Amino acid sequence: MKMIGPFLRRPAAASVLSLIAVLAFYVIFGGVDLFKLAAAASWMNLAANLGIVAIPVGLLMIAGQIDISIGAMIPAGSITTAILSGHFGLPIEVGMLGALGLGVLVGLVNGLITVRTTVPSLIITLGTLIGMQGVVLSASMLIVGKASVPLMAPDWAKTIFGQLLGGSHQVIIVWWIALTAILAFTLHKTRYGNWIYALGGDKVSARNAGIPTDRLTIALFVLSATSASFVGMCQAILFNSSQVSGGMGYIFNAISSVVVGGVLLTGGFGSVMGIFVGTLTFAIVIQGIYFTQIDRNWSNLIIGVTLLVAMAMNESFRKMALSYAPSKRKIAK
Amino acid sequence: MAAHIKKQEIARSGGPAEVWSSLAAVARRPEAGSLLGLIVVYVFFAVLGGYTFLGLTGWSSWLNMAAEIGIIALPVGLLMIAGDLDISVGAVLPASSLTVAIISGYYDMPDYVGIAAGLTIGLAVGLINGLLVTFTRIPSLIITIGTMFVVMGLSLGFTIMIKGSTGVFIIPDPFTKSLLGTAMGGMFRVGILWWLAFIVVLYYFLHLSPWGNWVFAFGGDRESARNAGIPTKKLTLQLYMLSGFSAAFVGVMQVIANGSAQVAAGSSFIFNSIMCVVIGGVLLTGGAGSVIGIVVGTMTFAIVNQGIFYSGLDPNFGSIIIGALLLVAVMSNDKFRSLALSFTVKKEVRAQT
Repeated sequence: MKMIGPFLRRPAAASVLSLIAVLAFYVIFGGVDLFKLAAAASWMNLAANLGIVAIPVGLLMIAGQIDISIGAMIPAGSITTAILSGHFGLPIEVGMLGALGLGVLVGLVNGLITVRTTVPSLIITLGTLIGMQGVVLSASMLIVGKASVPLMAPDWAKTIFGQLLGGSHQVIIVWWIALTAILAFTLHKTRYGNWIYALGGDKVSARNAGIPTDRLTIALFVLSATSASFVGMCQAILFNSSQVSGGMGYIFNAISSVVVGGVLLTGGFGSVMGIFVGTLTFAIVIQGIYFTQIDRNWSNLIIGVTLLVAMAMNESFRKMALSYAPSKRKIAK
Repeated sequence: MAAHIKKQEIARSGGPAEVWSSLAAVARRPEAGSLLGLIVVYVFFAVLGGYTFLGLTGWSSWLNMAAEIGIIALPVGLLMIAGDLDISVGAVLPASSLTVAIISGYYDMPDYVGIAAGLTIGLAVGLINGLLVTFTRIPSLIITIGTMFVVMGLSLGFTIMIKGSTGVFIIPDPFTKSLLGTAMGGMFRVGILWWLAFIVVLYYFLHLSPWGNWVFAFGGDRESARNAGIPTKKLTLQLYMLSGFSAAFVGVMQVIANGSAQVAAGSSFIFNSIMCVVIGGVLLTGGAGSVIGIVVGTMTFAIVNQGIFYSGLDPNFGSIIIGALLLVAVMSNDKFRSLALSFTVKKEVRAQT
């Protein structure tokens, strides 16, 4: 019992339990071979692509904001890279810088409008989401005449951003793990992490305590938009052409992963490890169902149930964490 | 002292000041900015689209679209005035279409049985959303994403289980078709009349009945609303059941009009309905907005979406216009709101001097 209490009070608790529950469900009712599943690339690739977006989105949610423009930034990163380096034949570095630069720009716009107005960031990023979708697609149609643009990246770029390790695992998995490590360190070991929690917990107090809340908010928006365009860039380099569709699905998938990972949308609570495990859970629900005898059409139902159950668990665990006090007897001893 | 009197004189004699104050009164209305946006957008597409867009064909194309989104945008807007969101409408719509098609098409039962079942599903999902939102402290965005996935999963799973494919067909009887799915004059869908009915009813409820005051009060300050004796839990349940019902109603109309139901339909309504509402001047922060504003926002959205096909521009360009409109709308609403909020403060200042 001594071990369980502290574990349950951690933000990641619900996501770890959800992961175990989903695996147990698949093993018992679906007859999954766990070794086969562990070796499969499909869920890891999905988790990596989703996770690189989900962690910055999660940090924003811990800070009390949300960013749904990522749904447009993934195709935007992909198309920008392909147009600059594929269609115009510029060096790949230019295409990559263009994609990431666009991410920084959109992040700045999101962040600036958020700190300058009282409009909720959901609505602001909804505006940039639909706007960027239009910008990217019509630019592609105007310049190239079609939405799918071919791109041949040089070998070094393919090795770093778009190779398949062992023929099936995308190299982006390594980037995902690296980003998780860096952001986990930043959030949990540096003062910037404390600032993010403080900002999400109580904005006014955070500013009064001398935290540069505006700059922090803008930086977080830049991080999430840039991460999204990074994912798009890697996809373009991997698949040798720009990927137009598929971005919209990331919006709800990323938010769901973050919520399963124990982050509160109201801010101030969550952890990078939680988001990491939440993303894994989400990816295993979607891709793991192919390893079961369960009809894959039920996967959305399983996601929904996992999400609702994880939310309920988060809610009760958080209450435990907030009401926790070491019992007086123990202190007396 | 002399300076003080001078100031008062300027304030009294100022003709321009009166004009400004009446202009400001218009600007403080929630729908002011959205009406301006509607005019600008209509003129823009009228210039580019010419007579086809200005004529009956143009009107029918954007009105048909506005009616479908509008029926969903109205209750979603009421929810946003009350400070909540409903993402699950995007899953309820196909769920209700599929229910109608499976019951009245595949199993060949009378149309009214299928329609009743479809609408009941909407009410049931709304009830569940409402209960989850009132009894937990989890934000409604997350809860309705959860129910969206569940409803999507259930409709896909059951449709495949029963029918074996993702599309179900139905041949509605002539009476049902004329009531819900016919096109007047071959162009204007009957849904436009239903939209009008929704507008009239919800206008009455939001702006003329005490229930509307409750919605505004609830969105403005929940704690105070409950302390003032407003049945906040019941109100939330009603609002979610209303949005579930409306989404299901649009699903019913679609399946009757098209003769088929698709699993994948409906997801575009999630963000589209929110965009209509926001362009219509409703703040997500709650407590402000109007039915007329939401209607104007919906019309603006539909005009951009359909007008782009008459304009000769790349269709994707429409998204840029909508995105820009949305950002302009929220920023000007923000300005208008601070104008409206600072209005009383200025009076106090004047009284003090």
